[in-house]
Amino acid sequence: MQNRPTGFGNPWLQLGLSVACVFVSELLLKRGATDVAEPDSAFSWTGINGLESPLVWWAILLIIASFISWLYVLRYVPLTVAYPLSRVVDILVPLGCWIFLGELISTTRWCGIALVVIGLALVAKPVAQMEERL
Amino acid sequence: MSALAFFFIVISLVSFVVAQLILKRAMQFSMANGLRNSRFVSLATIGIALMTLSFFLTLGLLQRFDLSYLYPFQGLSVIFITLLAAVALKENLSARLTLGTLLITAGIVLVSIS
Repeated sequence: MQNRPTGFGNPWLQLGLSVACVFVSELLLKRGATDVAEPDSAFSWTGINGLESPLVWWAILLIIASFISWLYVLRYVPLTVAYPLSRVVDILVPLGCWIFLGELISTTRWCGIALVVIGLALVAKPVAQMEERL
Repeated sequence: MSALAFFFIVISLVSFVVAQLILKRAMQFSMANGLRNSRFVSLATIGIALMTLSFFLTLGLLQRFDLSYLYPFQGLSVIFITLLAAVALKENLSARLTLGTLLITAGIVLVSIS
C-alpha cells in the first residue's frame, strides 16, 4: 500500500463510495424488478425483461459508478481485506429494505446483522492500525 | 425455494466470485504494466462479462423473491473470495481476518435463513 493517493483518490474513500452506490442500486433494482415482474414467464429468469423499468437503468448507472471505484480500490488494497469490508452492504441492504421497502426484519435476522457487524470490526481493526503506521 | 431458483442462485454466485478474482488480477497486472496491453484488456473483459451474467441472473431472481432474503446469498461470496484470494492470489490471511470473515459469513447465512 505504498504511494497511496490522498483526498478523493484515497482508496478507503473510494471503497465507501462504491458501497454507497451498491446500497442504493440494490434498493432501486428490487423496486424496478418488482414493478415489471412476470413470475409466470420462463424468459423472465434471464432478468432481461427488468430493463423495461427506468429504476433498473438508474441502478445500472450506479453499479457502473461503484464498479469503477471498486476497480480503483483493487489497485491498492488486498482482496482479502477489501472484499469483507465491502460486505457492510449486507447490513445496509436489509436495513434499507426495512426502512424504505417495508420488508420485515425478524429477531434471527437482527442477530445475523449483529454477527456481520462484529466480523466487520475484526477485519477493519488491522486496517486502522496499518493506517496509523503510515 | 425450487431447484431451478437454487441453480440460478449458484450460477450467479460462482460467476460473481470468479469475476472478482479475475478483476483483482487484472488491476494488479495494470499496476506494473499499464492499461494498454492485451493481457489486461482480456482479463478485464472476462471479469466484466461474468459480472454482467451474474447481474442479469440476479435481476431474474429479484422478480421472484424478497431482496432481504435473496441478497445475503451473495454474501456467501465473502468466504469464497477471501479464501480463494489467499490461495490463488497469495494474499496474506491472518487469524483475525479469517475469524472476521467467518463471522460475516455466519451473520449473512443467519440473515438469509431467517
